Amino acid sequence: MIKIENLKASIEDKEILKGIDLEIPKGEIHVIMGRNGSGKSTLANVIAGNETYEVDSGLIAMNGNDITEMSIENRALQGLFLCFQYPVAIPGVSMAYFLRAALNAKNKHDGKEEMDAVKFLATAKKILSDLGLDDSFLKRSINDGFSGGEKKKSEILQLLMLNPQLAILDETDSGLDVDALRTVAKGVNEFKNDNNSVLIITHYQRLLEYIEPDVVHIMIDGKIVKSGDMKLVHEVEKNGYSWLMK
Amino acid sequence: MLKKIQKHSHARFEELGYPSKKLENWKFSSSKHLKKYDSSNSGKNISIDHCGDEYTLCFVNGQITLESLNKFIYKDDMNILDIDELNDETTCSTSSNFEKEALFHLGLSTIKSGKYFEFKQGSKFDTPIQILNFYSKKTEALRISSFNIFKLNDGNNISIVEKDVNEGSGSFNLSLNKFICADDTILNHSILYDDNTESNYLGYNYYELGRNVLLNIDSMNINSTFNKNFIEIDLNKEGSEVKINILNLARNQQHLDNNILMNHNAEHCISFQNVRNILDDQATCVFNGKVVVADGAQKTDSNQSNKNLLLSRNATAHSNPQLEIYADDVKCGHGSTTGALDKDSIFYLRARGIKESDANNILVKAFAKEILQEFVSDDIRNLSENNLSHWIDG
Repeated sequence: MIKIENLKASIEDKEILKGIDLEIPKGEIHVIMGRNGSGKSTLANVIAGNETYEVDSGLIAMNGNDITEMSIENRALQGLFLCFQYPVAIPGVSMAYFLRAALNAKNKHDGKEEMDAVKFLATAKKILSDLGLDDSFLKRSINDGFSGGEKKKSEILQLLMLNPQLAILDETDSGLDVDALRTVAKGVNEFKNDNNSVLIITHYQRLLEYIEPDVVHIMIDGKIVKSGDMKLVHEVEKNGYSWLMK
Repeated sequence: MLKKIQKHSHARFEELGYPSKKLENWKFSSSKHLKKYDSSNSGKNISIDHCGDEYTLCFVNGQITLESLNKFIYKDDMNILDIDELNDETTCSTSSNFEKEALFHLGLSTIKSGKYFEFKQGSKFDTPIQILNFYSKKTEALRISSFNIFKLNDGNNISIVEKDVNEGSGSFNLSLNKFICADDTILNHSILYDDNTESNYLGYNYYELGRNVLLNIDSMNINSTFNKNFIEIDLNKEGSEVKINILNLARNQQHLDNNILMNHNAEHCISFQNVRNILDDQATCVFNGKVVVADGAQKTDSNQSNKNLLLSRNATAHSNPQLEIYADDVKCGHGSTTGALDKDSIFYLRARGIKESDANNILVKAFAKEILQEFVSDDIRNLSENNLSHWIDG
């Protein structure tokens, strides 16, 4: 699905990613954990193509295609989806308009017809209901005046509507109460199947009580220093990250 | 009365001359290019094919057409007089600030005629009145002036939609209006300006409000080479509320200029000014907004907001929101922002597969729509949204 080789990236001449190697095959859920400032969110943004960051060297390939220099929107159209840690508010653009624009762009790219309004509404309403959100959510401006939980649910709504091949969840669990965390996790589990992949970036194990990862990676100072299974999560919870820095 | 006005204004213009950049209201807008325009040939023998329906008052080069007046559906619900027929100087007087404006006097000194429209008390005006200002210029460098007075009587609820249509050569259109709103009246004044003849527009609108008046001014302005607007409002008695929503779109070397003076002269009044400019290429805009709260105008609630979106590095916005407060129990605020499209918002949209140019357009529309959604009239909002889409599409 996605293969990253020796990826180095910087912002304003400060190197953040110092040689990342990561491969997530189709059908797997991977987790990256690490301290604040270790480069986890930078990795998510660089994969998504955020132009604030400079890729200094390395390769990002999706389904065998090099996407390292690809535009942000083309990466999304290839099937990449970033669940934002801090989704921006865009007053004046309704969720419905935004979702339809995104869906139409995807359908056009995939050579499909535009989704008609009736089907769009039916699909959106079903997902909204599952997420515990009212239909009127679609009329609201993107993330404008949303609570922390609504913002994250909005990201999951987009994830389920756009149905990408790879979902990167950048600290989607942060700032959520237990109920919202369960709802978000349920959405991710609904999304997940044998043909797509998920990369979860998180500080804590609590999301992982609801989503079972296949591989856990620990990132320290811009590098993945250790990979393993859920046992690694428990070790980090118990002992912190210091023992991995040696 | 007309001759008296003309004589006074002629003397004032001679005294003041064309405004220089030393004047606060003209600091960022030159009047030099306006000097070449001459009023000698305006309004002669101009006929037009279409002057609107029975709800339309059609003005051709500043003068009302008899045809539109005859078929005007509300003519029996109004007193319509020539300004020349008025004897009351107070009705014709305007603000002390306009009195200092040289080009206001230039306009008044050269008007050919003007109308006084008084809405009768108790009459119904369910459908908006359209004012069609038709500027037809067969002569180069024409200056066209108009002066009209509208008086609303107690209980009137009036919607006026003003549209300008320009044809022929570029001209200098000087539009002067006074609105007198008696107690318990509602006035919705929508102004749509869309020009493609490189005309220059200078507007002076003065509103005099009584008790419990609701005044909404909605305006959208596109394709103006030079458009400078003065709005002055006197809230003279308690309980009135004013909302101003203005959206200006400019590109190339167009210049847009809004000067708003809100005089809170009485207690318990509310006013909101909301002006947004979207500028591309080398376009420039000016916002001079001032709220003056007089001594004793307690419980005033006033807010000014000016937001400017620059789509080009060469576009320039000048913003000058001001508060002058002489009362001690008021709520007044003002704010101004100028900047480019938000990079994080663009990234967010693009990360969902929306191409960059579409993402930019979505954000420009969103910025504009926050003003348009405040427009009172659904029709004007829809029309403005169409105009906005056309403008964005180039």
